[in-house]
Amino acid sequence: MPLWLPGGAAGIDNLVFPLVFAPLIWAILFFHACLDRSIARVALVAAALFLIHGGLVASRFIGEAPAAEKAQ
Amino acid sequence: MIHLKKEETKAMVAVHGWSGILLGLLLYAVVLTGTVAVFAHEIGAWSAGHVARESIFEKPIDATVRRLTAMTPPQYHEAVNLFEIGDHGLGAFFHRHELDAEGAPTESGIYYQLDNTGRINRTVQGTDEEVFGPRNDDALSSFLVDTHVRLHVPNPWGLLLTGILGLAMLVAAISGVLIHRHLFKDIFTLRRRASPVLVDRDKHSVAGTWSLPFAFILAFTGSFFSFFGTIGVPVVAMAAFSGDVEALSEAVFGNPGPADPRPVAIGNLDRITADAISRTGEAPTFLAIEKFGRADATVTSFHNPKASDIEPVALLYNGATATFVRAKPTVGTTPSAGGTLAGIMGPLHFGNFAGILSRAIWFGLGFAMCYVTFTGMRLWVVRRKDEARSLAWLERTLTVVTFGLPFGLTASAAAFLVTMPMGSAVFWTPAAFLIASAGAILAGVVAPSNDRLTQLLKVATGAVMIVLPLLRLFVSGGPGWNEAIAADQPIIAALDVAFVVAGIWLVRGARTTESVPRRRTATLGAAAEA
Repeated sequence: MPLWLPGGAAGIDNLVFPLVFAPLIWAILFFHACLDRSIARVALVAAALFLIHGGLVASRFIGEAPAAEKAQ
Repeated sequence: MIHLKKEETKAMVAVHGWSGILLGLLLYAVVLTGTVAVFAHEIGAWSAGHVARESIFEKPIDATVRRLTAMTPPQYHEAVNLFEIGDHGLGAFFHRHELDAEGAPTESGIYYQLDNTGRINRTVQGTDEEVFGPRNDDALSSFLVDTHVRLHVPNPWGLLLTGILGLAMLVAAISGVLIHRHLFKDIFTLRRRASPVLVDRDKHSVAGTWSLPFAFILAFTGSFFSFFGTIGVPVVAMAAFSGDVEALSEAVFGNPGPADPRPVAIGNLDRITADAISRTGEAPTFLAIEKFGRADATVTSFHNPKASDIEPVALLYNGATATFVRAKPTVGTTPSAGGTLAGIMGPLHFGNFAGILSRAIWFGLGFAMCYVTFTGMRLWVVRRKDEARSLAWLERTLTVVTFGLPFGLTASAAAFLVTMPMGSAVFWTPAAFLIASAGAILAGVVAPSNDRLTQLLKVATGAVMIVLPLLRLFVSGGPGWNEAIAADQPIIAALDVAFVVAGIWLVRGARTTESVPRRRTATLGAAAEA
C-alpha cells in the first residue's frame, strides 16, 4: 500500500493508512474467508493480493518503483 | 440490519463462540487490566499519596535542565525528553539515537528522576527499554499498565500476543453484529422472570450489544498499538524505504528543515513552557528536544486534546531562540487525513479526550466488556458441560481467572501500600500478585464446588478492597481526606470510597451467591439449549 496510495497533504497518508488500517484489512480478509462458500475464490483473492503487493515490494527493491522516495 | 443466510449465520455463531473461548481468558485479563489502567494516573496518585498541586512545567525547569546538561557526557546531548513523573516530579532523558545489535533503532542515554523540588532521586544509564522500568513510587500503576500492554511477556512476543487478542476481540465484535437479527430489539430485551440461563443470555446480549461500538474501537485501536512497532513499521519501512526504519520515522514524525550543526546553547525552556501554556491553556504532557545544543534545535511541546477536540495538540518551537514556530499535527508536518487518523488513535483507546468524564465512560464500558467476555465464556461452557467432563474444569478455570484476577490485583495493591515506604515495592507488587494468583489456583483445585470457589474469591477480594484505604492511611502514610482535598486531589478520597463500596458489594454478592438455590446450576444446562 505505501507504494500505490497517494501521500496526501503531508505526504504520509501512504505510510500511515496501512499502519492504522492493518487490523481492519485483516478482519475483512478473515470474514471473507469465513463467509465465502467458495474456498477457491478465497484462495484466489488472497493469492492475487499477495502477488500484487509482493511484486510491488520486489520491484521497489530492484529500483523500478521508487514512488515513496519521490513522495518525500 | 444485516440478514445473513442460515448457513452463514451458523458460521458466524461458531466464529463468535470460538474467538471468545480460545483466547477469552487472556482477553479478559487484558480488558480488565485495561479498564483499571484507564485510571492509572489516578491510581498512581492515590497509592503514592501525591499532593503537589502544580505541574512541573508550570514551574521553572530551565536552570534544572542546564544543571543536568552540565552533568551529562556530551555523547548523550543529541536529544532530550522531558516529562512528569511521580508527584509532579521531572523525568529527563538525555540520549542519542543508535542501532541495537539486531540493527533496530534505539535510544541510549542517561535518565534522571527528580522530585518536584528539583532534587535528583535516581540516575539510570542504558537504552530506553532498560531505563524506563517501574519505580518504587509507581510500581502499582506500572504493573497494571504492563499487564495490559503485554501480559508481562517480553517484547516483541507480549505485544504480538495482545495484538492477536485484539484481533480476536475484533472478530467477536463484528461477528456479534452479524449474528444479531434484531439488534435494536436485543438492546432492550431483559427477561428477568425467565429461566436462569435465559436471564444470563439476555444480560450477555444486552451488555454486549450496548458496548459493541466500544468493543470495536478498543479492539481496533488496541491491535493497532500492539502491531504498530512490532510488525507494521518494519513492513511499511521494508516496502517504502528498503527497510530503513529511521527514514520512515523521520518522514512521519520528523521536523524537516535545513541542517545547521553549529553549537548554540538551548533557548530558555521556561519561556517555551509559559508560551505553550498560554496557547493551549494547560501544561505540556511531554517536551521533546531534538538536535539539542545546535543552531537547528527544535522543541516540540505535546498537550492533551482541547476541550472540544479529540486530537492531541503539539506546538513546535525553535530550540535555539525559544520562539514559537507553528502548531503541528502529532504525526506529519502539516495537517492531513493520515496525521489526524494516527493522532486520534491514542485518545480513542485511552478515553482521555474529555477529562474524567470520558475516562469514566471508558471505565464503565470496559467493565461491561469484562462482563460480556465472562458471561459469553460461561454460556459456552455451560451449554457443553454435559458433553465432556473436562469442561467442568474449564468452568472452574474460568472462575479462577474471572474472580482470581481481581483478587490478585487488589493483593498487589495491598502489597504496594505496605512495601512502598520500605522502598521494595517494585519487587513486592508483582510478587504479591503471583502469590495471590497461586492461592486462587489452589482454591480452584480444592474448593468443593464452583459456587463455593466463586464465593471464596469474591469475599477475599472484597475484604482486601475494604482494607486498602486503611493500609494507605496508616501503613503507607498517605494523606488524609482533608489534606488530599485541600491539595486538589479529591480523587484520593473518591478511590478510598470506591474501594470500600466495591468491597462491600463483593462481600454482599458472595452472600447472595450462597443463598441462590443450587437448582439454578442444575437447570442451567437445560435452559442453555433453549
